[in-house]
Amino acid sequence: MSWKDVLYPFSVWKNILKDPVTIRKPEEREGSSRYRGFHINDLEKCIGCGTCEEICQNAAIDLVPVEGIVAKPGDSGLRPRVDYGRCCWCALCVDICTTNSLGMSNKFRWSVEGENADKAIDREKFGSPDDYLFVIGAENKYWDNSEMGYRKPDNYDLTSPVRVNMDHLSALERQDSFIEMMKGYSKEQAQREADRCVECGICTAACPAHMGIPAYIKAVREDDMEEGLRILYETNPLPEICGRICTHKCETVCSIGNKGEPLSIRWLKRYIADNVPSEKYKEILGTDKIEQNGKKVAIVGSGPSGLSAAHYLAMMGYEVTIFEALPEAGGMMRYGIPEYRLPYDQIDKDVNYILSLGVTLKTNTMVGKEITLEQLKEQYDAVFAGTGLHMGRSTMLENADHKKVLQSIDLLRKIALGEDFYVPEKIVVIGGGNVAMDITRSLARIQRKKYGRVNITATCLEPHGGMLADEEEVVEAREEGATITPAYGPQRIDIVDDENLKGLEVAKCLAIFDKEGRFSPKFDLDDRQFYEADMIVESIGQGADLSYIPKQLNDNIEYSPRRQIVADPDFQVKNQPWLFVGGDIVKGPDVITGISNGHLAAVGIDRYLNKKED
Amino acid sequence: MERIIENIKKQFPLQDVNSDHGWFITCEKKDVISLLTHLKITGGFTHLILITAVDWIEEDRFQLTYLLNNPQLKIRLGLRTFIERSVWPDESEMQSAHHLWPAVKTYQRELHEMFGIDFPGSPEVNDPLILEYWDDIPPYRRDFDTKKYSEETYFPREGRGSNDPAEYMKSQLYPNEGGKSQDFPQEISKKSSGEKNA
Repeated sequence: MSWKDVLYPFSVWKNILKDPVTIRKPEEREGSSRYRGFHINDLEKCIGCGTCEEICQNAAIDLVPVEGIVAKPGDSGLRPRVDYGRCCWCALCVDICTTNSLGMSNKFRWSVEGENADKAIDREKFGSPDDYLFVIGAENKYWDNSEMGYRKPDNYDLTSPVRVNMDHLSALERQDSFIEMMKGYSKEQAQREADRCVECGICTAACPAHMGIPAYIKAVREDDMEEGLRILYETNPLPEICGRICTHKCETVCSIGNKGEPLSIRWLKRYIADNVPSEKYKEILGTDKIEQNGKKVAIVGSGPSGLSAAHYLAMMGYEVTIFEALPEAGGMMRYGIPEYRLPYDQIDKDVNYILSLGVTLKTNTMVGKEITLEQLKEQYDAVFAGTGLHMGRSTMLENADHKKVLQSIDLLRKIALGEDFYVPEKIVVIGGGNVAMDITRSLARIQRKKYGRVNITATCLEPHGGMLADEEEVVEAREEGATITPAYGPQRIDIVDDENLKGLEVAKCLAIFDKEGRFSPKFDLDDRQFYEADMIVESIGQGADLSYIPKQLNDNIEYSPRRQIVADPDFQVKNQPWLFVGGDIVKGPDVITGISNGHLAAVGIDRYLNKKED
Repeated sequence: MERIIENIKKQFPLQDVNSDHGWFITCEKKDVISLLTHLKITGGFTHLILITAVDWIEEDRFQLTYLLNNPQLKIRLGLRTFIERSVWPDESEMQSAHHLWPAVKTYQRELHEMFGIDFPGSPEVNDPLILEYWDDIPPYRRDFDTKKYSEETYFPREGRGSNDPAEYMKSQLYPNEGGKSQDFPQEISKKSSGEKNA
C-alpha cells in the first residue's frame, strides 16, 4: 500500500464547497395528475351495482352494507370494499363503474400509525394488514376528496351508452291504420342491445314481478331462446304482452341509464317471446303433462292478474275456470290498449298457451249477472277476483252528462269490439295520461280514414314535460296529426242543444296541487282558449265497478283511502279467506303489477287450500 | 416520412402502411429481420424503443411490434408483423434480433416469459425475467384467467365476503315474496354464495 492509496479518499473533500450534481430528494412527492392511486367513491352517486366487483380480475372487491345507506329502487344499499392485498391498480373498476362514482386519487402513501410502526410485528398493537381492507369513501381517508388522480376518460366506454333503436313505421305509414307500429328487434340488434347489460340485477327489485331480467338478457346474448322463455315464465306468463306495453319500471333504474340510455329491457323480452313459436312452448316449458290435484278455483276477469293467477294455479294442478264478461280474454290489455301498440294475435298467443294448460275460459259470462259470486263460492274451493278498473271517471263539469261527452275507456272498448260509433270531425280529449294518448291516437286514425284529415285536441293540466303519458306517446300522437296542449284545464262545456256540443273552454293551469299536496288546480282565467268540438272525450282516470260483490259481503271488505281493496300479502281478503283479489282493484294500476299479484295470490290460494286440508 | 416509406416499399414487400396514430408498417414474418437491419443500417433508425406483442386470440395470431426511432430526423416508425399463435404448452417462434441491439435480448426474454413466444438463439431467453417458479399459461396470453389464478394462488384475507345486489335487495325490499317459484338463475346467485371467506 502506498501513501497515495491512503490519502486518495480525502481527495473528495475538494468537492465539499461545490454545488451538488444531484437534486435533493423532495420531501413530498405528488403523484401525477392521472396517477392510479388509492380509490375514491362518491357514496351518494354509487348505487351498489357490483359491476366493479364483477370486473375485478383479482377478486379484490366485495359489496357490503354500509351504515346509513339503505336499499331502495335503483340502489342496492351495498357499497364496494377493496382489499389492497389483492388490488393490482388496473382501474378496470373505475372504467366500468356505471355511475362514474368510482375513481382513483393520486395518493399512494398509507402506513399504519402507531409508535414504532416501522418495527411493527405485533399486529394487535401496531395495526394489522387488515387495515388495508376498507369501504371506499366511507372511512374518512385523507385522499377521499382528492381532485387529482385517475378518472374514466370521457372518450371511451366499456359499455355502449346508446341503445339500439327498434325499426318502426313512420307516421305516414301508420297514421291511417291499426297495424303494429314497432317492428321488433332483429337477432343482430337484440344481441347488440343485450351486450350492453352488465348483469347487475338492480332492475329485478324494481320490477313488480321481480323478473330474472339479467338472466334472460344473457339468454338473448347467447342466442338461447328456450332458456330465455323458461326464465320469462318463472315470473311472467304474458311475455308477448309485457314485451310490448309494460310500463318498464326496470328501465328507469337500469344502472346503464346512469351514464347513458338504459337497456331496452322491454324490447328484449319481446324479442325472446317473438322468436319462439307457440307450438314449441309446452315442450320448452315442460308443461305437456301436469298432475291434477282435484281442487277447483274460479277466477273473475281475464285481465293480467286473472290470467297470471290462472297460469300459476294450473301449473300447480288446479282446475281453473275463468269467467269473463266480454267476448274475449285479455281485459284491459285487449279492450283498453289499441291494436297498433298491442296486436290482438299477440294477446291470443299468450292467452292460448295459458288455456292450453287446461284452463277453462267462459266468455260473455258476467259475474253478478250470469252467475253470482255466492254461486262461485259454493262451487269452487277458492275464488280469485281481478276485475280491474273499467269505469271512466268524469270531470263532473256542467253538461258532462251530455250524450256527446263520452268516456275514453268506453270508446276504446267499442273499437276493440269492432263496433261502429259516432266519430265526428272535431274532437277534444280531456286528459294527458297514456289512456288519453291511446284514445287520441285511435280516434285520429279513424278520423283520417273517414274524413281524410285529423282534428283532435288533447288537453291536460300537467305542463309539457310533466305529462303523465310517456314522452314517446306524446311525440307520436303529434306526428300522427293530433294536437296536444298541456297545461290547460277544462272550465266549461258549451252545448248547442241536447244533441249537439259547441266545445270546451279551457284556462291556463298554474298549479295542480295545493301546498298540502291535495288536488286543487289553480287557473289563470285571463289565459283562456276555446276548442270547438262535436264530441268531448273524458280520460282522467278509471274506477272499479264492484257491483258484483253483494252488499253484505262488501260491508265486510276493507278499502284503502284510494278505494283499493285491502288484502294481506297473499292477496287474501281480510275476513273472507275463500276470496283472493288482484290487479288494479288492489294495487297498480298497471299490467305487470297485476301479473305479480296474480302470481302471489296463486301461491296464497295454494297455501290456504293446503292448510285447510290439514 | 412518406418518402422513407416509398423507399422501403421499393425493396421490401409491405402488407400495410398505417398513419392513423403514428406511422406503422406491416411486413411478413420472414422479412422482419432484414427490414430491421435495413432500417438500422441505412435508414437511420438506430434506436430501438421497444418490442411488444398483442394477443389476437380470435384470429389465432400474435402481433409483434418493433418501435424504432431515428434520432437525426426525430421520427418514429413501428414495424409490425403477425406470427402464428401456438396453443400452450407449445410455444410460438420468431427469429431473434438480438444481434442488432443488445437490449433486444431483454425484450425477447420478456415476450418469451409473458406470451410464450420463443426466440431461438437469443441469450438467456429461457431465464425468467420477473416470474419465479411460474407453472401456468404465460400470463399475458388472453386465455390466462387472472381471477382464477388469483383465487387459487393467494390466500384470502380474513373478513372477506360479499353480497349479490339482486339477492340483497330481495332480502331488504321484498322478503315476503320468496314463496313464489322464482329461483335466481345460477349464474346470478353464485356471486353471493361464492363467499370468499377462508
